[in-house]
Amino acid sequence: MGKLEQIAARQDKAAGLTTSRRGFLLTAMGSALMFGFAREGKAAQLYPASATMPGNGAFEPTIWCSIGPDGTVNINVIRAEMGQHVGTALARIIADEMEADWDKVQITQVDTDPKWGLMVTGGSWSVWMTWDQFRQAGAAARSVMVEEGAKLLGTTPANCVARNGRVIAGSKSISYGDIVSKVHPTRTFTPEEMAKLPLKPASERRLIGKDVKSLDIPAKTTGSAIYGIDAKLEGMVYARPKLPPTRYGAKVVSVDETEAKKVKGYIRHIVLEDPSNTVPGWVAVIASSYPAAIRATDALKVTWTPGKTANVSEQDIIEHGRKQIADKTGGSCVFNDDGVDDAFKSAKQVFERTYTCASVLHYQLEPTNALARLQDGKWEVHCGNQWQSLFLPVIAKALQVPETDVVMRSYLLGGGFGRRLNGDYAVPAALISKALGGKAVKLILTRSDDMQFDSFRSPSIQTVRVALDEQKQPKGWEHHASAGWPTRVMAAAFMEKGADGKPYDQFAIAGADHWYDVGPMRVRALDNDLASDTFRPGWLRSVSSGWTPWAHEAFLDELAHELGKDPVDFRLSLLTAKGRNAGKAPDSVGGATRQAAVLKRLVEKCGYGKTSLPKDTAIGIATTFGQERAMPTWTAGAAQVHVDRKTGVVTCQKIWLVLDAGTIIDPDGAAAQTEGGALWGLSMALFENTEIVNGNVRDRNLNTYTPIRIADAPEIDIEFVESTEKPMGLGEPGVTTIGAAIANGVFNAVGIRLRHQPIRPADVLKGLAEKKSA
Amino acid sequence: MIKFKLNGRDVTVDVPDDTPLLWALRDELDQTGTKFGCGVGQCGACTVHVGGRATRSCITPVSSIAGAEVVTIEGLDPAGNHPVQEAWREIQVPQCGYCQSGQIMQAVSLLKDYPNPTDEEIDGVMGGSLCRCMTYIRIRKAIKKAAAAMRQETASHG
Amino acid sequence: MPFFRVGDASAPFRIGGRVIKRLLSGVVGAGVLGGLGFLYYAYYPAIAPITPPSASSFSAEQIERGRIVAAEGYCAECHTRTDNGGGPELAGDYKMETPFGAIYSSNITPDPEVGIGRWSEEALRRAMRYGVSREGEHLIPAFPYDHFTKMTDQDISDLYAYLMTRPAVHMTQRPNELPFPLSLRIGQAAWKLMFFTPGVYKPDPSHDDLWNRGAYLAEGNAHCGACHTPRNLMGAEKKGSVYDGAVVDNWIAPPLNEHNPTPTTWTEDELYQYLRNGVAPLHGPAGGPMSPVAHRFLATVPEQDVHAIAHYFADVDKASERQKHDKAALELAMEQSKKDLIGPNVDPDAKLYQGACAACHYNAAPSPVLGRPDLALNNALWLDEPTNLYQVMLHGLTAEEGQSGVAMPSFYNALSDADMARIAAYLRRTRTTLPAWTDLEKKAADVRKTVKPIPVNSSH
Ligand code: FES
Ligand code: FES
Repeated sequence: MGKLEQIAARQDKAAGLTTSRRGFLLTAMGSALMFGFAREGKAAQLYPASATMPGNGAFEPTIWCSIGPDGTVNINVIRAEMGQHVGTALARIIADEMEADWDKVQITQVDTDPKWGLMVTGGSWSVWMTWDQFRQAGAAARSVMVEEGAKLLGTTPANCVARNGRVIAGSKSISYGDIVSKVHPTRTFTPEEMAKLPLKPASERRLIGKDVKSLDIPAKTTGSAIYGIDAKLEGMVYARPKLPPTRYGAKVVSVDETEAKKVKGYIRHIVLEDPSNTVPGWVAVIASSYPAAIRATDALKVTWTPGKTANVSEQDIIEHGRKQIADKTGGSCVFNDDGVDDAFKSAKQVFERTYTCASVLHYQLEPTNALARLQDGKWEVHCGNQWQSLFLPVIAKALQVPETDVVMRSYLLGGGFGRRLNGDYAVPAALISKALGGKAVKLILTRSDDMQFDSFRSPSIQTVRVALDEQKQPKGWEHHASAGWPTRVMAAAFMEKGADGKPYDQFAIAGADHWYDVGPMRVRALDNDLASDTFRPGWLRSVSSGWTPWAHEAFLDELAHELGKDPVDFRLSLLTAKGRNAGKAPDSVGGATRQAAVLKRLVEKCGYGKTSLPKDTAIGIATTFGQERAMPTWTAGAAQVHVDRKTGVVTCQKIWLVLDAGTIIDPDGAAAQTEGGALWGLSMALFENTEIVNGNVRDRNLNTYTPIRIADAPEIDIEFVESTEKPMGLGEPGVTTIGAAIANGVFNAVGIRLRHQPIRPADVLKGLAEKKSA
Repeated sequence: MIKFKLNGRDVTVDVPDDTPLLWALRDELDQTGTKFGCGVGQCGACTVHVGGRATRSCITPVSSIAGAEVVTIEGLDPAGNHPVQEAWREIQVPQCGYCQSGQIMQAVSLLKDYPNPTDEEIDGVMGGSLCRCMTYIRIRKAIKKAAAAMRQETASHG
Repeated sequence: MPFFRVGDASAPFRIGGRVIKRLLSGVVGAGVLGGLGFLYYAYYPAIAPITPPSASSFSAEQIERGRIVAAEGYCAECHTRTDNGGGPELAGDYKMETPFGAIYSSNITPDPEVGIGRWSEEALRRAMRYGVSREGEHLIPAFPYDHFTKMTDQDISDLYAYLMTRPAVHMTQRPNELPFPLSLRIGQAAWKLMFFTPGVYKPDPSHDDLWNRGAYLAEGNAHCGACHTPRNLMGAEKKGSVYDGAVVDNWIAPPLNEHNPTPTTWTEDELYQYLRNGVAPLHGPAGGPMSPVAHRFLATVPEQDVHAIAHYFADVDKASERQKHDKAALELAMEQSKKDLIGPNVDPDAKLYQGACAACHYNAAPSPVLGRPDLALNNALWLDEPTNLYQVMLHGLTAEEGQSGVAMPSFYNALSDADMARIAAYLRRTRTTLPAWTDLEKKAADVRKTVKPIPVNSSH
């Protein structure tokens, strides 16, 4: 039943929705993907509760999965679905271990509830974090099925095997559904019990590593997938913010609604009082339709006294960072090995370079939005979000209610990329609803609002230094990085402690703590406070690993040339896997040898150094450990670039990537994530960036903000190393090598070094001119 | 009161003339498959068909399509099995999926104009449809696959 | 074209503020010509009012012929109110802005008090042929009697039958907002003396019937020159520049002769499709004031008449001589069409064009697809000014305009003046071989100011 038919049906008889609507949604979703909140009869756009949710006779050995009397296996997913097909990957883990019939598996994207523990989706962590837990949960279900199935088949568990949703003993077998409907098992498992359950060996895996159709995809081809922006409740009103001139510190002086009142549908405006200080200086405009809210907001005149950062520019922030780096005292060290200072003091030669990166906006395609209301004494916030655990308390603080009074309803995310780790957009929706006595209100930011309010990737500046001995071998290394720290601003409790005991934002330095053997290292993270005073720095796809490797990989390349060595051989010579780079179980077995292996494989594949290419065209190489040292996805990337000497335009013609991420759960999904990541890397290297002008970002829409489009996408060749090691993340590592590979390719093509990202034609022309005159 | 045909059915909306078609579809007619991305006609997320041609609904005043035939992703095929939709599932194009209604609508109209599109033709027409998840490589593949399927279909139906 | 009483003073419809101003100052200046002889020349008696004829006094065939005549003269376009929610057809009150204030067209339904119900056929004929009202007042050439004068008695008689059988609407137009002395009626007569030659069209024996039919319609009833021929300081069509193109209602009515700048020729077939369907495959859709000419009027008249007009203009623009360059022009346009859209590109202007326009306007060889108007071939890029390009960007096209049933969005809120200027400059440099336009941002702002009502359809 299409939505039009529903409208017709509703017009005929509003109450008649239940059966047909449910039928429609189930078909539309291929009964595979559910959202877990109870649906109210009149809510137009919500999913039905699962038929096999506990309470419908389902067997639920753990909170993570259940088996219904009809054999349906429901898997509860606490990770946000934002395109990574995370539900499918996680469900494969449980289903494989459980020996479930994949055709009977469905996913429920759950709402917030304390029982789920930490709800966060980011850092490419989902598979890695869930791997053990979900295998155990699958094993728990399987063991009960085998036990009860054996009884029903009149034999012992030892004589039974579980396969494809059935327990089999010789020629007899019984389905999981029948076992549940006959026996009604009730056994549950504590985490301790679960941890003791025997798990299947890798050789027995039947779903993991095999191709699968992602469960979230069909609805995304028919328009039936429901995102936060699609959430709708009867009687709701619409809101749009009127944003202050600065992110912080702006105060409303006066509001003139004369013109806004002339807009048909305008209801009122509200100057938001926000105890959580998430949206200082916001004025919200309420209207009966969204277009009316847009117009009325444009018409509403508000004067503010701006915050103190009203004149800050991108360059100011970079220069502030430059000073911080020059000052030896600030910041916190991830590594601060004994002997670094001695190494530099006694060095034969010190080689040092500084790299900068521009601000980058998320531009997740679905502008931020949230729907809030007070329902049965609870504040409901409907939206897509990546870190529910982080923002529930903030919303509660804003509303001045206990956390237990707030619940977030889960929806699909029209792109995350880290933007929705920060749930700041949910706060004003809740505040507006509160000002309206709990009425349902849907806040949508227009694109220009969304960009102005973005928690974008901070501009950064990094200096890398190496101390060389007589043999021109590195014997000491320093990496200093200054940028705005998202984690301090938004989630200070999650910061890590440095070697010096001081907290630091691992998401503003990770990637610099590399696996090369370069003698004692100092890796220092500096909190660029001018950045975080001016805007709210955000986590953006691959966070600091989107820019720290750009520095050390460009640096190593440059150093190799300086020393007259081949950049690949030079890197391999440093990937010795000694000391802390040896790796340890279960996450980094093999250590740097695995990084060396992907690099070698990459070189073989792309023909680096062997292929002869046209003039001004060359391949550049870079390698990383993906996202985080504790969860290494060994990555090597190559980019073939061409430089147009006349225009300065750099074109990326092809990308190669070789990755070792341990076990690959869903090969096609892994490839999709890596493709997307690589193109993000390319986009940030050559196509997109913004700049802070007068305390805010310069770009407000696609007229000036220019992420890559289809014609810009080169051919990409991706290879995963076969492995049965623990699976690592894949959402972001694809990004990490591209910037440096392109910069290194530019050098190989025309012999110039560019140390600012993105690489702009003007910089190339300048570099070429300098080279000529040199 | 503005009347037009939506997915084969006569509809009437009572909104100001200058209301963008996008919001009329999403909020008045509950067709939320059409998405709001940029609002300025530059991302393609809101693409629908007007008179069979891909049209950016976010900047098309609803009054300007009075009397016309509008098709949204929901009405492309009664069962959601247009060859382009099938190819999209086969190649597993969508990631977050938010751009994909627009991509599919644009691709369907591309295939009307260029039934056997080259990479150039795909890039030329699809360049207005932004995918922030960067599913571009698969979009190219899926369009070619759909084109092949549609050619076969026409061949077998004479 | 509207039919104005001198007492209302007035200005030519669709001739834009600048031309109106010139016309009116000419009229005032002419007052000094004076003299008795002139007064004699200027004097027309009133024609006696009649009792409105009954509908049954006209045959159905004649009324139908009259409908075609009315359609081919676009009467309803200027004699029907469009603001204030629109008005009854032919009842007048169509608002025209002039620099001096708004003026309103008259009611030409057969209402005896406020319409033309008491006009005899002779009164209508005199108005059409000599620009004089039943009461004997001079009409100003906003009502293009300089073209209508060429109509045959038969056509006028059929038109009379048609008009007199329309429903009478008792609706008066709003009072004009023009100040004295711009309303001096005597000035109109002076204007006539200088610029007006009455007389029925005379067929040219050196051409065939189709050509002559086309010429008769184009020069007469269809009054093409009223918009497409530039006007002199006194607001009269310049004799030496017939069909050279002119500014009309903040649009450019392009040249219809060999000076038309589009790279491919307006052939008879292109012209026919354009006039009949509102879209020509190699030139694109009719927008702005031209759109109703095709859709509202020429779509409803005998095909053969449209063929005749197309045939005539294909001769006026020397299509047969120029056509030989079309193949090369088309090839070049197809190359230009894909520029910067194929393969990676970092030019911000190209990116803007790619995002906002190319999905609908990209074309691949050998020829543009119908419904993908190719800008490299479009008038708008090849005219001396970006006016029409801006107009279409700001307004878009409704489903009724241009190609029927399809719409172009309005970029009024989507593109700033600077964005529009970037696109215009980019297209001019990459899709034409002509010199760059100047002052683009300011011109964008100027055209934007003329767009009314403001389409507030923004979603940012
Ligand atoms: S939302 Fe309409 S084109 Fe972006
Ligand atoms: S799939 Fe996410 S924007 Fe295209």
